[in-house]
Amino acid sequence: MSGDLGSIGFIVVAGALTTYVWRVLGVMLAERIDPEGELLLWVRCVATSIVAALCAGIVLSPNRILAVTSLDARIIAMAAGVACFYIFRCNTGAGVAASVVALFAAAWFVA
Amino acid sequence: MRAGDTAAYDWSALPQGARSAVGVAGLVMAASFLGFGALVRDFGVGLHSGIATTVTVWALPGQVVTLDMLARGTGVAAAALAVTLTAVRLLPMVVLVMSKVRVEGANRWPLYFLCHFVAVTIWRIAEDEIEAVERAKRLPWLTGLGLALMSTMIVMTAVGYHLAQLAPPLLAACLVFLTPSFFFISLFANARISMDYLAIAAGVVIGPLCHRYYPQLDLLAAGLGGGTIAYVIGRIARNRGR
Repeated sequence: MSGDLGSIGFIVVAGALTTYVWRVLGVMLAERIDPEGELLLWVRCVATSIVAALCAGIVLSPNRILAVTSLDARIIAMAAGVACFYIFRCNTGAGVAASVVALFAAAWFVA
Repeated sequence: MRAGDTAAYDWSALPQGARSAVGVAGLVMAASFLGFGALVRDFGVGLHSGIATTVTVWALPGQVVTLDMLARGTGVAAAALAVTLTAVRLLPMVVLVMSKVRVEGANRWPLYFLCHFVAVTIWRIAEDEIEAVERAKRLPWLTGLGLALMSTMIVMTAVGYHLAQLAPPLLAACLVFLTPSFFFISLFANARISMDYLAIAAGVVIGPLCHRYYPQLDLLAAGLGGGTIAYVIGRIARNRGR
């Protein structure tokens, strides 16, 4: 039970407050900030790299459930997803569907 | 006159907004949260943690970073910094949404409630559909939409969590893969300038490298290091192009 409370505390401090603060600032600064400014451009780069690293981490060293697939299968699936995204004229849904199907096929037939 | 102030919003639009949750955007979001629920099972942090992030964080990348770090036992400070860096992108979205819903002279507290719901989906819907809604009805309309989407996503988180256990191992793995795949492809979908592609590449290369040497700080190092490198190179390239 204390473990559960610890998790919730971690989520509120590390996740919720740190996220809400930017939304509140957005309301307070709504009349004064340039949404396309240089500072926010840098922030977008940092956020993009964090999410890219997060995805790479899950592909390279997954947890239990995803670990039933091979590394090759996961890399093939991600590449197929990005390729299909562009083949289908930048359709995110098509890319995601293709990557999941590719993961299934690669895991089923290859390893 | 408090009552007179709030009356500037027409709250009869609340259920109307809630109904608009049923649509393509809502469907895509539901699939993402189904995958998120499965990912929560994979992290081994418990369904209550997953649902807590859905309610209190309400932005999938931040939710996954939070739980990834909770699962790995990262310190609160490093986790807070990494999450907050993924959340700064919400600021411009809120700024843009506010410019569409604000009513001059009206009470401001509903804005602080509505802003909690602002993330990619609500921002897109606000850009696409809100023009057709009359101004006094916009804030209630979006609040209704936010409440409906969040209730649905709490259910989807739980469904995904349980499906991950009930489904055969390979299908469960595919379900877990839905979220990272959606995130990664979305990075390409949102990329507009060379800087964005550089940032993707930098994260993919630096993240795993740092993971080998500093597993607790890999996301932070990849974000701050890779993102800054991408920004600087992108800026130099842009200035040369002029």
